[in-house]
Amino acid sequence: MIRQLSWLASLILLFGAGSGVWAQTISVGGAVVDGDLPLPGVSVTVKGSYAGTSTDLDGKFALTVESGATLVFSYIGYLRQELTVANTVSDLKVVLKPDVAGLEEAIVIGYGNQQRSKISGAVTTVDIKEATSIPVLRTEQALQGRAAGVQVTQNSGQPGSTQTIRIRGLGSINNSDPLFIVDGIPSGGIDYLNPSDIESISILKDAASTAIYGARGANGVVLITTKKGSRNSKATLTYDSYVGMQEPWKYMALLNAEQYGVLMNESRAAAGLSALPGLTDPTSLGEGTNWQDAMFERAPMANHSVLYTNGTETSSIAMGASHFSQDGIIGGDKGRFERTTFRVNSEQQAGDRFRVGQNVTFTHIKRNALAENNEFSTPVLRALNIDPVTAVTRNDGTYAYTDYIDSDIVNPINQIEQTFDNWTTNRFVGNVFGEMDLLPNLKFRSSVNVDLALGSQKIFFPAYDLALYPGDPNRPATEFREVNSLIRAENKWSTWQWENTLTYTKEFKNEDKLQLIAGYSALESMSTSITASRDSLASNDPYYAFLSNSLNVEPQIPRASDGISETAWVGQFVRATYDLGNEWSLMGTLRYDGSSRFGLNNRFGLFPSFSAAWNLTERPWFAEKEWIDFAKVRGSWGRNGNAEIGDYAYNPIIVNGLNYTLGSEQNQTIGSGPVAIANPDLKWETGEQINLGLDADFLDGRWNVIFDVYEKNTIDMLAYVPNPGTAGLEPGPSNVASARNRGAELAVGYQGGEGDFTYNLNGNISMYRNEVTDLGAPVDSLNQPIFTGNVFGSGDFVAITDIGLPIASFYGFETAGIFQTDAEAAASAQSNAVAGDVIFVDQNEDGVINNEDKVVIGNPHPDFTYGFTAGATWKNFDFNLFLQGSYGNDVYMGMFRYDLNTTNLPVSALGRWTGEGTSNDIPRVTHADLNQNNRVSDRFIEDGSYLRIKSLMVGYTLPSEVLDRAGISKFRIYASANNLFTFTNYSGLDPEIGTRGTLEIGIDRGFYPSPRIYNVGINVTF
Amino acid sequence: MKNNVTTFSWMGALAMMVIVFASTGCSKSFLDRDPYIGSSAGNFYQSAEDAEAATVACYAPLQVEISDGAHFRWYFGDIVSDDTDKGGSGDTDEPDMLEFESFIGDPSSGIVLGEWKTAYKGITYCNIALENIPGIEMDEFQKLAYLGEAQFLRAYWYFNLVTTFGGVPLVTKTLAPSEYAQPRATADEVWAQIVADLEEAAANLPEKSAYGTSQTGRATRGAANALLAKAHLYQGNWADCRTRCEEVVESGEYFLDPNYGNIFTDAGENGPGSIWEIQYANNSGGNWGAQFWSEGTYTNVFQRARGTFSGYGFNLPTQDFVDEFEVWEEQIGPDLIQKVDPRLSYSVYQLGDNASDWGEITEDATGMPNPYYARKYFNPAAELAPFGDPNPNGGSNDRVIRLADVLLMHAEACQQLGDEATAIASLNLVRTRAAVPLIQEGSVSGQSLLNAIWHERRVELGLEGHRFFDLVRQGRAEDILEGFVPGKSELFPIPTAEITLSNGQLTQNPGYE
Repeated sequence: MIRQLSWLASLILLFGAGSGVWAQTISVGGAVVDGDLPLPGVSVTVKGSYAGTSTDLDGKFALTVESGATLVFSYIGYLRQELTVANTVSDLKVVLKPDVAGLEEAIVIGYGNQQRSKISGAVTTVDIKEATSIPVLRTEQALQGRAAGVQVTQNSGQPGSTQTIRIRGLGSINNSDPLFIVDGIPSGGIDYLNPSDIESISILKDAASTAIYGARGANGVVLITTKKGSRNSKATLTYDSYVGMQEPWKYMALLNAEQYGVLMNESRAAAGLSALPGLTDPTSLGEGTNWQDAMFERAPMANHSVLYTNGTETSSIAMGASHFSQDGIIGGDKGRFERTTFRVNSEQQAGDRFRVGQNVTFTHIKRNALAENNEFSTPVLRALNIDPVTAVTRNDGTYAYTDYIDSDIVNPINQIEQTFDNWTTNRFVGNVFGEMDLLPNLKFRSSVNVDLALGSQKIFFPAYDLALYPGDPNRPATEFREVNSLIRAENKWSTWQWENTLTYTKEFKNEDKLQLIAGYSALESMSTSITASRDSLASNDPYYAFLSNSLNVEPQIPRASDGISETAWVGQFVRATYDLGNEWSLMGTLRYDGSSRFGLNNRFGLFPSFSAAWNLTERPWFAEKEWIDFAKVRGSWGRNGNAEIGDYAYNPIIVNGLNYTLGSEQNQTIGSGPVAIANPDLKWETGEQINLGLDADFLDGRWNVIFDVYEKNTIDMLAYVPNPGTAGLEPGPSNVASARNRGAELAVGYQGGEGDFTYNLNGNISMYRNEVTDLGAPVDSLNQPIFTGNVFGSGDFVAITDIGLPIASFYGFETAGIFQTDAEAAASAQSNAVAGDVIFVDQNEDGVINNEDKVVIGNPHPDFTYGFTAGATWKNFDFNLFLQGSYGNDVYMGMFRYDLNTTNLPVSALGRWTGEGTSNDIPRVTHADLNQNNRVSDRFIEDGSYLRIKSLMVGYTLPSEVLDRAGISKFRIYASANNLFTFTNYSGLDPEIGTRGTLEIGIDRGFYPSPRIYNVGINVTF
Repeated sequence: MKNNVTTFSWMGALAMMVIVFASTGCSKSFLDRDPYIGSSAGNFYQSAEDAEAATVACYAPLQVEISDGAHFRWYFGDIVSDDTDKGGSGDTDEPDMLEFESFIGDPSSGIVLGEWKTAYKGITYCNIALENIPGIEMDEFQKLAYLGEAQFLRAYWYFNLVTTFGGVPLVTKTLAPSEYAQPRATADEVWAQIVADLEEAAANLPEKSAYGTSQTGRATRGAANALLAKAHLYQGNWADCRTRCEEVVESGEYFLDPNYGNIFTDAGENGPGSIWEIQYANNSGGNWGAQFWSEGTYTNVFQRARGTFSGYGFNLPTQDFVDEFEVWEEQIGPDLIQKVDPRLSYSVYQLGDNASDWGEITEDATGMPNPYYARKYFNPAAELAPFGDPNPNGGSNDRVIRLADVLLMHAEACQQLGDEATAIASLNLVRTRAAVPLIQEGSVSGQSLLNAIWHERRVELGLEGHRFFDLVRQGRAEDILEGFVPGKSELFPIPTAEITLSNGQLTQNPGYE
C-alpha cells in the first residue's frame, strides 16, 4: 500500500516538473456552432494549462492564450475538436459535428468518466430521459427491460414495495443485491430519489468496471447521477406532473358458491363425512361472493415535480422539489405511499483552480402497508382461499366470518379495515466536495458524504369481534382480538463517508493518453432502533394509539427493546487507463479494502482487475467498409467482493435472550449463553469474472450493436456447514461455498427517420445460466443441500440449493397422471392410494414413495429476458412503446392452503377425477387425503413466461409559436398506459413474482399484483 | 510566476500525501468494532448474576417443541402407543407421525432430528454452566444449587435421549470442532451418567419449600430424587428405586391434590402434588419461527379440537384407552349404580361434553368425526393468549413428574422386591384420591398385582406421554401394540442427518438401516 503511493508520488513529481514554455500571448475570439445553430455552454479549454472558458448564450467565446496553444472544444452530444492558434483572431468559427453514434459520450464509470468509444469493461447506460418520460414510480422500474444483463423483478405491486435487481444472474446464495452509488455516495436503497431528478444511470456489469469498488462490487454496481445545472446556461424552470388511475388487471378464476358447495360435499363424502350445514343444497347458493372484486379497487396516483437550473460563468445550480402519492389497489389508503423530496445541487468556481460543490437532498416518505408475500396473514391470500359462500358483510353491515374454514383464513376485507401499519421516514443525504487543480493535469478532490435516515413505525392492532352475539360459539378465535395493542419503533440509520482522489492526466505527443487515479475512502455506518409495545389502550380509535394511553400497568415480560449495530470500511485504490492512439485502450485497477465485518484473520483484501479494448475501426479491413462506422472488441478480467455478511458474524457473542418462565407469576427470567459458534477467519465472498464484448455501429450510426459473453465465478461464498447435534450450538457462517454464472447479452438499436418523422427501435436480450458448484462440506458425501421455501399448502419445502443445480431450483415429486381404478392404485408403490389419487413417480424404483423420490421439478430462473422500445416523433407528436418480457421462468403456485381442506379452489378443480376416465391430471377431492395428493409436486409448477406491454405513450408538444407568446419554452402533454396488457399462460394474479430472500424465487404465496395504470401528464419548461 | 506554480503544486501534492498516509495509519483500530448488545465470552461468567443467567439458559431449550420438526414427548409416548391416535386434519397433517405410529418411521424425519438436536442443545448449555460456574466467586451454597440444576437438566435430557434412541454420544464438556463427531456410548453408560448426575444434584439442590414462589419451576431435591427413581425403575434397580421414592414421599414436601380434576387446570399448575413441570407462559406474544425466543407451548393448540375450538385436533384417545377405565357397580340405597372411574372424565372429552367455556363438543363444531378428545391440555378459551398469535402461545405447563407417578413407581418397585403389602398401600393412596374402590391387602398378588399397578399407571398418568415407554420397559409392547417389531421398534431411529454429519462414528439402530 505504501509502496503504491510512493510510486505514484514520484510519478507526479516527475511530470509536475515539466511546465510551460515562455511565449507571447494572443487573444482568440469566435463562436462555436452546429451548422447554423449557436452552441452555448461549450467548454473551451487550453490544453496543458488552467485557462478555459465556456461559450455564452450566443455561442461566443474569448480567451487570451499563448501563441501556438491548442484549444479544445467539447460539448455533450458532439465530437470533440482541437484547434491550434498561432495569431490573434476574433471571428474564429468552430463547427462541431454531432456525435450520432454517441462515441464521445462520457459514460460515468466509477470515480470518473470514460468515452464510450474507449470503454473496455461492460458498462450499460440507461437513457433516463426516455425511461422517465414514462411515469415511473421507483427508480428501479426505469431499469427494467432497458439494460441487457440487468433483471428487475417486482416483489409486490403494493405502493412503496422494493424491487429485486440482479445483474448477470445470482452472484451469491446470501446476498445478490448490487451496490447503488448516487453522486458518489453509496446508498442503502434508492427509494428516496425522485426519478425525474435522475440524469443518467450507468450499470457496471463486469469485474473490471466494478473492481474499483473492491469488496462491495461483486454483484454489480448501479451508478446514478442526478441532474445538475451547467455553466453559462439560461435559467430554466421545468414542471412535470401527471395524474393516474390504477386498476387491477386480472382476477384469478375461482369457484363460485355453487361449485364450491358441490366440491366440498364431494370432498367430505369421500372421507365419510356428511355435508356441512349450509352446503346441503349447492344449487341454491348461486354465484356467491367474489372476494377479489370486493378486495380490489381503483386507486389514484399523482406526481408533481419541479426543477430549476441556472448557470453563470463560474457556478451552476439545480434545485428541485417533488411530491408523489399513490394509493393501493388493495386497501386504498391502507396501502398508500407518499413521498416528498427537495434537493439542491450546486457547484462554484473559487479562484482559478478551486471548485466547491454541494448536493443536498431531503426526502419525507409516509407509507401505510398491508401484509404481503406470506401464506397465512395477507389479504390477497385470504381473498383467494376464503369460501365464496360467505358474504363480505351481514345484513346489518358488520363483517361476516366464514363457517367453513378455520385457522388463518379470515375475512380479508375486515382485515384490511383492522390494519394500521404506518412507516414514516425522513431522510437527508448530503455531500460537500472540493476540487483543486494542483497542476494543469493533476487534480485533487475530496468529498464528505452524509446519509441520515430516521424511520418511525407505528403498528396498531385494534380490538374487534365478529361474533354475531356475545358468546357466539361459532365465531372462530382468529376473528376476534380481545385486547388492543400497539407497537412503536424508532430507527435511525446514519452513514458518513470521506473520499479523496488524486487524478492525473497526461496526453503524449503521439496522441497516447494516460490517466491515473489514486484514492482513499473511509466509511462508517451505524443503525440503532428502539421498539416498545403495550396493550390495553384506553381507546380503540387509532387516532389515540399511543403507548402512554395503555391501561395495563402489570409488569409482564419485557416490552421494550433496543438494537444497535455498526460497520466501518477503509479502502485504497489506484486505477490506470492508457489509450494507445485511437486503437487500444487499456485499464488496470487495484483496490485494497478492509472492513469491520471481516474476521480478525482476514481484515483486508486485495482486488485487482485488467481490461483492454481494441478499436478495429482504424484497421484496414474495417476502415474501407463504409457501412461500418465503429467496431470495438474488448475483454476484461477482475476480482471483487461481496461483503453483505452481517455486521458481527465472526464474533462470539453471549446473548441475553435464552429466557425461561419461572415463578408463580410466570415471569420471564433472563438466561444468557452463546448461540452460534464463532469464526475468526470470516471474510468477503469473492467474485471473479471474465468478460468478452463487441461494440459496433453501422450505416452512419443508425445501427448499433453491443454483445457480451461472460463467466462469473463466486468463491468463498458464505454457507452454514451443518454441525452434528453434539456441537450443541448453531454453526457460524464460513466461506466455503461457490457458484457460477455464465451468460450472454445482446443489445441492438436502430435510429431512422425522414423529414418530420424520426424513430428509434431498441431491443435487448439477456440470458444467464446459474449453478452452485460447491457447498463446502469437507467430504463430498457430507454436502447437505439447503432447503428453502416452506409452503404451508404443500406442507414442505419447495426449493433446493445444491451442487450442480441453479440456486433455489424447485424440488418435489414428479407426477404421472391419476390412478383410474383401485386395482391400479393397489398395485403401485403408494400404499395409501385409491382410484382418483395422483400417481407419483417412484424414481429409484424401491417400491416406496418418500423423500428420496424427489427430483428437480422446475427452474425459477428465466431462459432469457428481453426488452424492446420503439419511439417515434412526427412533427409535434411523439409516441413510445415499451415491451418487456421473460421466458422460461417457472413459478410455484403456493397460494392455496390445501392443508386446511375447505379452502376455495381455482376453476381448474372442476376438472377433478370423479370416475374412471374423467381426468388424468386433477385428482379427486377428499378430506381424507391419505395419498397426500397436494404434496410438493410438478402439479403446482406453472410456466411464468410473460410478455408485457409495459408502457404505451402518446404525447404532443405545443408548437413554439404558441408558446413564445406565453414565455414558455416547451409544453408537452401526454397520455400513457402502464402495464397495459400482459400475455401469459400463468393462472395466478401476476407472473412476475419476485424473491423473498435470495433463496426463495418465484414462489407465489398470494402475490399482490402490479396495477394497470392510466396516466395523463404535462411537461412544461419555462 | 512559473516558480510559484511549481512550488505550490509540489507542496500541495506533498500535503495530500501526508494526509493520506496519516489516515491510513489509524485504519486498523477504526475497523475494530465490538457488538454492543450481548457480551463476549471473555467478559462473561464473572459474577453471581452471570451464574444465574447461565443456569437459566439451561432451561431455555425445554420450551423448544417444534424446531426441526415437532417432537413433543406425547408424540413418542402417547401417539405411538395404544392410548391415542395421531389426529390432525388428516393424513397429510404431520405425515411422519403417521409412519411412526405404524412403526414404519423414517430416520430422515424432522421429528427425531428435532428431539436429538434440542436435547444436545440443552446438554451443551448445561456443560457450559458446569464448566464456567465453579470458577465464579459467590456464595458456595448458591453455587452448588446452580450446579445441581445444571446436572438435573443434563440428566433429564439424557433420560429423554436414552429412552428414545438407546445409547447416544456422551458429551460432558464443551467440544472443540474436531471433536464434534462422537461415537455412541452404550445405553448402560448413559444410564450411569444420568444416575451420577442426579445423585449429586439430589445432594445439593434445595427442597421445594426452600425456594420462594418466584423460583417455582426450578429443579429441586425432590425432582432430582424422583427422576433418579425413574431412572432406576427403567433399569430394573428396584431397591434403589424404592429408596429414592421413599425419600420423595417422606420429605413432606408433596401431597396429592384431593381433587384429581384440579391437577390439569391453570390454578392447579405447580400444585401440591407437582414435583417438576416445564413452565410455559401465554404472554410473550408467541413466535412461530423462533420458538427458542418465546415462552409459550404448542401443546395446547395441537391437542384442542379443530373447528370452533381453534385447535389442530391431535392426540385423539382410542376406544381401548377409554375402556381401560374401571367400571363397577355400587350399592347406593336400594339401587345398584354403574360407576366409572372419575379420572376418565378428567382425561377425555366425549361428544356431547361441554368443553369448559368453549361450548358443546359436536361433530359439527369440530368439523371432524372423532368421538374422543384429550382433555388434559385442552385449555379453556379464557386462557388463550391475550395478544399475539395464540397458537404458539399456550400457557399450560408440561407436568413432567408428579407425586402419583412416584407412588406408582414405589408400588411397582416394592412388588418386584416381593413387598406386596407396601405396594398395595402406595397403590391405594393413588386410588383413594381418585375415588375408586381400594384394593384389599392380600386380594391380589404376583402378576395380578403387577397388572393392577400397570393398569393404575395407564389411567392415572394417561395422555401424559408415559404409555409407550412403560410398555417397552415392561416388555409388553410386542403383545399389545399392533405392528410393533421386536428388536427394532423399542427405539426410534437415529436421525439420518446426524449419522451423515458424524462421519461414520454413529451407527443406526437395528432395523432402520
